[in-house]
Amino acid sequence: MLFPQGAAARTDPQTVSGTIYDAVIVGGGIAGAIVANQLSRAGQRVLLLEAGLGEDLTLEGYEDYLTRFYSAVSKDNQSPYPPNANAPMPRPSQVRKITPGRPDSSGYLVQNGPYATDSTYTRVLGGTTMHWEAKVMRMLPEDFEMASRHGQGLDWPIGYGDIEPYYQAAEREIGVSADVADQAYLGVTYPPGYVFPMRGLPLSYLDKMVAAGVDGTEVEAGGERVALKVRPFPQGRNGIPNPDYDGGRGYIPVGAVSTHQVEEGGRCQGNNNCVPLCPVQAKYHAGKTLAKALGNGVELLAQAVAYRVHTDPVNGRVTHIEFRSYRDPSSPEYVTGTARGRIFVLGASAIENARLMLASGLKSSSGLMGRNLMDHAYLLNWALLPDIAGTGRGTNSTGGIVDLRGGSFRGRHAGFGIDIHNDGWGWATGSPFSDLLHIVDAQHKFGPELRRALVDQVSRQLLLAFMIEVPPSQSNRVTVDPVHRDQLGNMRPVISYSVPDYTMRGAAYGRRLAQRIFERLGAEDYTAYDPADPGYVTYEGQGYAIRGGNHLGGTHIMGTSPANSVVDTALRAWDHQNLYLVGGGAMPTIGTANVTLTIAALCFKSAEHMIEQLRAERAPVALSGSTSGSAQ
Amino acid sequence: MTEKRLGDLLQAAVELELSTIPPYLCALYSLRPESNGTARLIIRSVVVEEMLHMVLAANVLNAIGGEPRVTGTEHVPRYPHELPDGVVLDLLPFCPEAVEAFLKVENPQHSHRAPGHDHPLLAGRRPDVQRARATTLAQGPTTIGAFYAEIIEGLEKAAAMLGEQALFCGDPARQITRDYYYAGGGTPVPVTDLASARAALTEIADQGEGDQASMYDKDGDLGHYFRFEQLKYGRSYLPSDDAGTPSGPEIDVEWAAVYPMIANPRGDDYADPELRAASDAANRTWSGLLRQLEAAFNGFPEALLAAVPAMFSLRDRAAVLLANPLPCGGGRHAGPTFEWARESS
Repeated sequence: MLFPQGAAARTDPQTVSGTIYDAVIVGGGIAGAIVANQLSRAGQRVLLLEAGLGEDLTLEGYEDYLTRFYSAVSKDNQSPYPPNANAPMPRPSQVRKITPGRPDSSGYLVQNGPYATDSTYTRVLGGTTMHWEAKVMRMLPEDFEMASRHGQGLDWPIGYGDIEPYYQAAEREIGVSADVADQAYLGVTYPPGYVFPMRGLPLSYLDKMVAAGVDGTEVEAGGERVALKVRPFPQGRNGIPNPDYDGGRGYIPVGAVSTHQVEEGGRCQGNNNCVPLCPVQAKYHAGKTLAKALGNGVELLAQAVAYRVHTDPVNGRVTHIEFRSYRDPSSPEYVTGTARGRIFVLGASAIENARLMLASGLKSSSGLMGRNLMDHAYLLNWALLPDIAGTGRGTNSTGGIVDLRGGSFRGRHAGFGIDIHNDGWGWATGSPFSDLLHIVDAQHKFGPELRRALVDQVSRQLLLAFMIEVPPSQSNRVTVDPVHRDQLGNMRPVISYSVPDYTMRGAAYGRRLAQRIFERLGAEDYTAYDPADPGYVTYEGQGYAIRGGNHLGGTHIMGTSPANSVVDTALRAWDHQNLYLVGGGAMPTIGTANVTLTIAALCFKSAEHMIEQLRAERAPVALSGSTSGSAQ
Repeated sequence: MTEKRLGDLLQAAVELELSTIPPYLCALYSLRPESNGTARLIIRSVVVEEMLHMVLAANVLNAIGGEPRVTGTEHVPRYPHELPDGVVLDLLPFCPEAVEAFLKVENPQHSHRAPGHDHPLLAGRRPDVQRARATTLAQGPTTIGAFYAEIIEGLEKAAAMLGEQALFCGDPARQITRDYYYAGGGTPVPVTDLASARAALTEIADQGEGDQASMYDKDGDLGHYFRFEQLKYGRSYLPSDDAGTPSGPEIDVEWAAVYPMIANPRGDDYADPELRAASDAANRTWSGLLRQLEAAFNGFPEALLAAVPAMFSLRDRAAVLLANPLPCGGGRHAGPTFEWARESS
């Protein structure tokens, strides 16, 4: 995929401040990229503001991330992305245990607790899709009707049938490898004859070892018997194109992005470090969509951090976005710029969208801005298999157990998906580095004996990660406080969060299920949750370490009225008729699917409405914030 | 032309394309980590397409009922290796001489003074030159272009004489399709008739030198010749550039950031038992990879999927050799020898 040379420097703060765009988009992640691409394809003039450094996306630039990751001591999910004090991002290493009543403000996120989240999002061009795992499940039909079906959480104002065509658009954009036969379960349906762009990626050897012990096992959930089965996940990474795709036209995988032609990323090579960065760009990242958008003439202004959304006091319409443009990530110097447009789109992540709105004093007439923050709660379970199982081969996660994502039990406890981790215990224990230290320091092995011991240890590791749903709760929220600001003067997000009991009941069920699965596999359970862990949660006398999922949602939920939600089904703010809040924040529930595919689908839907609105509103908007614009 | 000769020429084409791969891999693997990033990508992109060319030649051979061979001392190239038009392929580390040789391979019209036997790189390291089958089969002096032209002409005549269906009698299930082979620049063409055979063979020539009228092939990919010129000039081509005058961003080529592998290494050069064992292991991997390719060309295309990890393994084993200075080697390092090993791993 060719990135247009010089596109990152197409405009500057002065030019931007003197221009009225059709659309001003904040955030160069997947949401902003899709909207920018859709609007520019429809002939609209689009400005994209990006907080992170914005250079042309070259292969060399990408490989700098890779070098940084390779040489990093801690290989966490932000390790490839350098610190930037003007667009800081949460990092797992910043998370501290919270003492009640003593918020921790040492990291970028100010954490009120009681639960300290280690969830992250990435503030670079391409956003969190740079580090994502690229697992792209659709939400289940019942996920959209949690309140009416299960009496939990909220109903969406749209159903599976409404979003289905947009799921197809998202699957095309991301380039999904999957087989319909594997993905049609728990009511998920596809139109007749539908195939994914690329064929499903195979299960790893480890998946098959687990399947041999687990497939057909019946468990009881909500009074029903459910048979478990290991299934491959749909993946946003390149595989074998399906010639039947698109009515027999097939699909051409999108490879690496660069300003010059490169032959990379045609197919996944199973490097097993999808998170935090695919070394060959076979994994989708939003740069692939951005390259297309910039090819359509979208103007990108990077190093421009949105500071405040200004609105017309009479009609609520957004008049402009004030941004701070910096030259040097380490220097607090900036110049103020103004971005004006007919419509405005915030696609800066669930936390940043809410943070910016609240910092602008825009709480939404529902009072729900920033509330209902959600993220999947991960419960890790790890064990040693009796035989070598090839752990370390394949992408991070190729298969898992999804049979308990849905079901009548969700009236009582949370549903979950189970990921089988091909990268072993890494997430739980820091393996293989921790294993190496142990074998050297405690077992005093070296040379060939050390190598054998390491292989024996690592290649038998099994990590089951339970991705548990978290229902919306108004007290889980993002706020701002003028006391807490970043180097550029932007208010930092303040997070208040506790893991709901509904979720913890799911965790308790999941822990027992993991023990049962390990028993069936003859695996020795090594799971241990440390009370000193910042994510340690006690529930019914048992302690669990809950990890964040980086699947953030719910801070500006979609609903049926200005009273019960922040945005409508087009993701347009009820209070601001020319402002769209896109991304996970618009999701009223996050179900048990990783959120990106749904975010992408909603962006395709929302972009249709934006184009419609732009075409309907021909008259230019008033330039001054003090005079009223055209009434709706 | 007899069908026998047509089959021999196509087998020679498979071997010719195969023979270009080890020299490119030597240059690629000799780059020290964290240097010459662009050079690495350029060489890698070309070598991936040379693999495509081998697949395309095998598809044509399979289409006329042949059995492509890439294993055994009879079919595995040895170095130095002489191609048509007097081009000699040496196994060299990344160096200006290697790039000059690549330019010559990719465009026979490139005026090229091959480094002589007395060149410091090659002094004493260019013993018996193996002549490619494409050279020995030629009735008189030939070029790579003329060699492929002869095949296309032969196919046309045979199709006219025997009928197209009778000529293209191969089992279509033996064709390598895009299911099993994918590269950003170009896809394998399943060959079932004269038109697809011509398309496959033309793709080989186009990717080398660009379309005849342009520097780019029909997919818009820069020809191999011009990709290598970017290394020579230290500058990348923009779509608007004319041949010979790239004006894109500078390409940082660090000739010194390379493992200085000896030219045309042989297993017998490695007296040190550990080095010899590492070399034998690399050759077993190379030979195993060739067995997988031969299986893929002979009715088991899915063997190409398993060849991917084998290629990673070959790279890792080559790196072990390249990182090792030779005892008494005057600062030169060992390198992969790409010799056929009867036992493979």
